Amino acid sequence: MFRSAIVRSLRASAPRVIKTPAPFQIRSSPIAVPQFTPSIFQGARLYSAPAGLSKDEAEGRIVNLLKNFDKVSDSSKINGTSHFSNDLGLDSLDTVEVVMAIEEEFSIEIPDKEADQIHSVEKAVEYILAQPDAH
Amino acid sequence: MASLRTTSRLFAASRPMFRPAFARTYATVEPTPSENPKMKTFKVYRWNPDQPSEKPQMQSYDLDLNKTGPMMLDALIRIKNELDPTLTFRRSCREGICGSCAMNIDGVNTLACLCRIPTDTKSESRIYPLPHTYVVKDLVPDLTHFYKQYKSIKPYLQRDTPTEDGLEFRQSPEDRKKLDGLYECILCACCSTSCPSYWWNSEEYLGPAILLQSFRWLADSRDEKTAERKAALDNSMSVYRCHTILNCTRTCPKGLNPGRAIAEIKKMLAV
Amino acid sequence: MARLSGLQRDVLSLYRKCLREIRKKPTESRPNFKAHARAEFQKHLSVNKKDFSAVEYLLRKGHRQLEMYASPGIRNIR
Repeated sequence: MFRSAIVRSLRASAPRVIKTPAPFQIRSSPIAVPQFTPSIFQGARLYSAPAGLSKDEAEGRIVNLLKNFDKVSDSSKINGTSHFSNDLGLDSLDTVEVVMAIEEEFSIEIPDKEADQIHSVEKAVEYILAQPDAH
Repeated sequence: MASLRTTSRLFAASRPMFRPAFARTYATVEPTPSENPKMKTFKVYRWNPDQPSEKPQMQSYDLDLNKTGPMMLDALIRIKNELDPTLTFRRSCREGICGSCAMNIDGVNTLACLCRIPTDTKSESRIYPLPHTYVVKDLVPDLTHFYKQYKSIKPYLQRDTPTEDGLEFRQSPEDRKKLDGLYECILCACCSTSCPSYWWNSEEYLGPAILLQSFRWLADSRDEKTAERKAALDNSMSVYRCHTILNCTRTCPKGLNPGRAIAEIKKMLAV
Repeated sequence: MARLSGLQRDVLSLYRKCLREIRKKPTESRPNFKAHARAEFQKHLSVNKKDFSAVEYLLRKGHRQLEMYASPGIRNIR
């Protein structure tokens, strides 16, 4: 998967070979992603662009998914910044279920290490946008 | 048919009335009223998986040896029948051929059915599950990993060429003799769980019981995959964690010698 | 959420494995499997997170059960 990401980024930035190391850094630290505005790295990165996955769309789909999740205590609290346990009253097992549902929604597989870090809608969106395969 | 039914009814009638139908059978000794009771204390390891937060503990049971059969298994069955039906242990054949009742009795891994109750009533007997095994309940160890390792050595005859006459694969009496002392193993896991090397490296080291079986197939004149079997064992962990401590040979309730089998494997791998 | 201990992460990882395994089951029986998995975890919610031997035992038991139920022959539960 990693290699395919590199190949893809190489292909995307063929004219500007010198920029190829950049996607590496961005991908390995998803937290850094929102600091860039999409227009800056679209030329070099082109991860989400081909699938056309915007921040709003990812957020909207995750919020929708949470609205259908019957264990949420107060569905009026679901928004782009909700914290799974603090705002929505989900326990750790529910959180695992939500993250798994997100996996299915975006057809990706989230490794345990990363999945343990996702406990808010914000983090989930952040992670999804950093995934080239998410769609 | 009718006569058969009569006999069975007769048989049923002759059964003592007080014994409930579900009681397990065990060897008992008719009480001799003249003698004083020979009370002996048995301390048994207890742990209940339904209360995983509670620590394991030793529970004491007192039995009159005059009324108990001679073997440890008789005592355990009597405790279960008469004193505490919650006591859990595996048993089946009560004659040392199934290997179910392997446990640690007075510090030695052995089969409860082959172990005599020490007649000294002053000292208590302590009964634990096989050491360094995960306990399922009370005296029942989890042998899943042990069986997986057994499966990994392909414990069956591997042969591609048929015999000339299409009959069974025969071997000479001399070749058959090579399997003596190997085929008798009942895989009770007494030896493997007495082996310090196996305690520390059970993930990768196969342990004496499985290695004895490995050698049983290496030594079989009819098996054609000897080279493959040797190759599978030829690494630093599978065999060479054996440091000839020989607890295995000392404890084997069937009197086999796994230590020698391991030495033979090492010899085969060396040449 | 408080930082999770290694053991707690192992528990969540086991739950995740269970959910992944459930995806391989027939669609109509998936809710049953999910309810079962959830109930099995729920049963032991009261176990203290510092009670290592109990949690480790339950983890082993969970893995064993998962391995058993993962068999393709098992198509529904309860």
